[in-house]
Amino acid sequence: MTAYTALIWLLAIPLGSAPIIYLAGRITEKLSPKTGSAPSRWLSVLALAGTFVPLYFAITHFISEGAINLSVNLISLKFDGISMLVAVTALVLGLCVTFFSTKYMQGDEGEEKFFALLPIMIGSIIGLVCATDLFNLWIWFEVMAISSYILVAFYRDQPDAIEAGVKYLVQSAAGSALILLGIALVFAQTGQLNLEQIRLGVVNSEPSPLLLAASVLMLIGFGVKAALVPLHTWLPDAHSQAPSGISAMLSGIVIESGLVALLRTSGALIYSNVTWGYLIMGFGALNLFVGNLMALRQTQVKRLLAYSSVSQVGYILVGIGVSIYSLQPTGAAGGFFHVITHALMKGLAFLAAGALLYALRMSHENHDPLLVSDLDGASKRYPLTAFALSLALLALGGLPPLAGFMSKWQIFVAGFEANAGITIGLVIFAALNSVLSLAYYTPMINRMYRHEPSEQVKAGAAISWKMALPLIVLIIMIVALGLWPALVRWLVNPAAYSLLSIFTSALVR
Amino acid sequence: MASTLILLVIGLPWIGALLVWWIGDKRSALQHALAIAFSVASGAAAVVLIFNASASTVISLDAGGVFGQFTFVADGLGVYLAAIATVIGSLAVIFSVNYMHGEKGLGRYYAMVLFFIGGMAGLVLTSNLLLMFLFWEITALCSYALIAFNNDDPKAVAGGIKALIITQLGGIGLLAGALILYSQTGSYDFNQMIANPGLINPQLLAGMAFGCLIAAAAKSAQFPFFTWLPDAMEAPTPISALIHAATMVNAGVYLLARFFPAFEAVPGWKTSVIIVGMVSAFISAIMALFAYDLKRVLAYSTISQLGYMVFAIGCGGIYASQFHLFSHSIFKALLFLSAGAIIHSVGTRDMREMGGLGKKMPFTRVVFIIGALALAGIPILNGFWSKELVLEAGLTNGPVWAYIIMLITAGLTAFYTFRMVWMVFFGKPSEKHVHDAQPAMKVALAPLALGAVVAWLLAGPFASMLQSTLPAHKIHALSTIEIMMEVIKAPATYIALAVVALGLVAWWQRKNLTGIGKAFHWLGYAANNSFGFEAVNKFIVRETQAVAEELRDTQTGLLNWNIAGLLIGLIAVIIILVMGG
Repeated sequence: MTAYTALIWLLAIPLGSAPIIYLAGRITEKLSPKTGSAPSRWLSVLALAGTFVPLYFAITHFISEGAINLSVNLISLKFDGISMLVAVTALVLGLCVTFFSTKYMQGDEGEEKFFALLPIMIGSIIGLVCATDLFNLWIWFEVMAISSYILVAFYRDQPDAIEAGVKYLVQSAAGSALILLGIALVFAQTGQLNLEQIRLGVVNSEPSPLLLAASVLMLIGFGVKAALVPLHTWLPDAHSQAPSGISAMLSGIVIESGLVALLRTSGALIYSNVTWGYLIMGFGALNLFVGNLMALRQTQVKRLLAYSSVSQVGYILVGIGVSIYSLQPTGAAGGFFHVITHALMKGLAFLAAGALLYALRMSHENHDPLLVSDLDGASKRYPLTAFALSLALLALGGLPPLAGFMSKWQIFVAGFEANAGITIGLVIFAALNSVLSLAYYTPMINRMYRHEPSEQVKAGAAISWKMALPLIVLIIMIVALGLWPALVRWLVNPAAYSLLSIFTSALVR
Repeated sequence: MASTLILLVIGLPWIGALLVWWIGDKRSALQHALAIAFSVASGAAAVVLIFNASASTVISLDAGGVFGQFTFVADGLGVYLAAIATVIGSLAVIFSVNYMHGEKGLGRYYAMVLFFIGGMAGLVLTSNLLLMFLFWEITALCSYALIAFNNDDPKAVAGGIKALIITQLGGIGLLAGALILYSQTGSYDFNQMIANPGLINPQLLAGMAFGCLIAAAAKSAQFPFFTWLPDAMEAPTPISALIHAATMVNAGVYLLARFFPAFEAVPGWKTSVIIVGMVSAFISAIMALFAYDLKRVLAYSTISQLGYMVFAIGCGGIYASQFHLFSHSIFKALLFLSAGAIIHSVGTRDMREMGGLGKKMPFTRVVFIIGALALAGIPILNGFWSKELVLEAGLTNGPVWAYIIMLITAGLTAFYTFRMVWMVFFGKPSEKHVHDAQPAMKVALAPLALGAVVAWLLAGPFASMLQSTLPAHKIHALSTIEIMMEVIKAPATYIALAVVALGLVAWWQRKNLTGIGKAFHWLGYAANNSFGFEAVNKFIVRETQAVAEELRDTQTGLLNWNIAGLLIGLIAVIIILVMGG
């Protein structure tokens, strides 16, 4: 398989399979009420598993010969280190989520739409992180956004879910409008849409107010999706109201893809890496602080996890911000490592919480949120799920020997390597926030290991192996990365170099 | 040979942890047996490792990039602490067979104990500061999980979370130290830096030195972070003996001793170490005087004895501090485990409800009193020799005011120790129906009691092992006989013995001293409130929660405000860019 065909199939399989999955579900539902839309579930799993084949070829090509550049007229796609890292993470997490959802979503109305939209969302994420021209980037971004609106508001008879979906839609649309305005300004100034061409123009010119304005508009526009504080207000509602698999996807990879889009565009537009380093680090500090304090007083499990995502994005921002500021790769490597580990940890947390939500609530046709107090004694009936959730929370809190410890470590190293007062101070602040985060993670764990189960746990339904299997896979990956972080070095280092190449080439004057 | 042994010492308990957890709580007899087998095997490996001690790196794995080389060294400091962790660990496991009989969640208990034993051994055997921090956090995690073992009890849960958060907060100091080491030398291996501290810029070296002091103070429950240890007494008693007396709390002392040659020259560092040790030793001895909870008295005395070790390091007495650590691990584990036998039998920790237990628990009384005499520093028990060495180091190399406070503390130690022994075993008999220590408990207690009586005979070989494997520490080794003669000839010994005797006399004459007792009424009030440190903790927690609650107002749930947030962000960034260029 040549590099180009691999890249095209990488996008075509998830996107092209979606209509087939939908139709298959609809047809079997009409033909045999007994089967329902079951084939759509397994087709979806199959499609995502199949996407690993072109991904494998694209990766081998990338490792042997470098980035894959694919241009069709003005549309250009580039499979570089960042694309590789996000594509692998999105597919691994996506496959776990889809497999989990075959049971979680089983029998829900419109199930076949869910299973068709998931591959679209994953395909558009891969497209987004490969796009290197503004138009194309914006299109992929919108495809990802639209598929996620529908998935967030999937329970359309639940007023809370609809409210969350509308808020998410309106806030993202406001962001999209800013992005579009930014694109218009860039085009007006440079006459170009290709990011590399724009960057060359920027390198050779004096700072222009139009481009400065465009960079701010894009920062804020993409920042909505990346949940930068104070643009994060859609996130707690959307993450807690979406089906649990979608919460895992949103938190694990969608917000990070927004961040990648932000970095790709700003890399082409900025004049000073130091100022942007400060900006990204500043948002990082704000995210850490607000996310943690907001999570501290939450009583709903999924809402608490949603705020924890706000603070976890803060670590990624700190790593990447330090890297942009100092133009050294360690911080970006740490930030991207945290993208991977956060996808695994938060994926596990949301899926385990989802399994409990399913067993304690949804199996009784109850759509109320899962409360922290419902977790009492969960380990008695659901030892694996309770263990999975505990492990995910400890990993998020940065305790060894789990993945989160190692990725945070790499971010912290970067701050000290940069050897500036501000980066060192920021690392200490981030470490303090890690300690603070334990104050809301640990009480949940203690509740699950009580001997006296809550009424809800006593009345809970069993958890199927289809939900348990993805949990086990994620647990193994989290422990493996915690013991031997070098396992993902092949993913993390190229991504860091790709990011630095975006930011440094803008500054060669 | 040494590399295999290190892997066995760390790996065996971890494999055991997985197995015990895996076989499930339905087969509890097998769980007990497996836990004993793996911990004892690990202990045996650690003892053999002592004879293979050397200063060279024996394991090195390349973890790549910013994770450096995962290196392990079996030097004197490491092997003896690993032996303490695994041997006392296996005794605590044996004790648990009786103590934890019939408890729910045995798999979780043993898995965490074994995970801890391996983690503690790793902490002292690695020479990579990243790994040391990793193991440091693993021990904190196990400590948290075991303090909160009985999750249905809110006090246990609160104690566990408090211990975790305070030690982690201090741990940031060690984190910063490790990151400074890496950013300055490009490696996490601390041995080259200890041999040559000039590798690091003096300002950063000072940062590292004080960072490590903060981490050590939090881990070893020293001033001003000590408040977590008394609350950690909610843990099952074998855990208090193992983690919160004999092993984990020593990690801080170990850290300071390990890095002493590097930090020695940092201005103000040694004085700060002396002050931390002295204040901890003194105020916790006072708190022990007024406590009625048996385990809390022991916890305060642990803080106080750890204070002696920290003080000794500040005075440059590395050998004295490590020797006292060795003695303390034995006699404090002995005291805690016999306290466990008492509590298991009586069903309360309040000493006012005990009284006159001696006749009904003769075995426990004998071993407890041996431990108590060692704690009080009575010749010829192990605590006597090591405490004398600490005080001698203080007299020769430390400031006089600190030495005097430490002397007074020695008298207070004798006083509260006898108060405790009296309240538990003598005095007015309680009505409770009690039984003596059970068989497995006796198996665990007997070797510790023996150790408290004879372990000081190892003083000479111990010193020569440290001398030969730790060149940078410049330890001057003497034989056991020479050390004994030195202690016997030193005037400091007789001053200290006189003060200890004064403490005993004060206890004996306590009825005639009630006037003084009344005059110190305010002191009891202050001590029972941990001299205000608890209030500071509570204040910080309350304020953080209040800020978090206030901040919730920002999540209005109104879409208009959400969009307003977006615009505020936009305007703020524009202003920053326009101002900053």
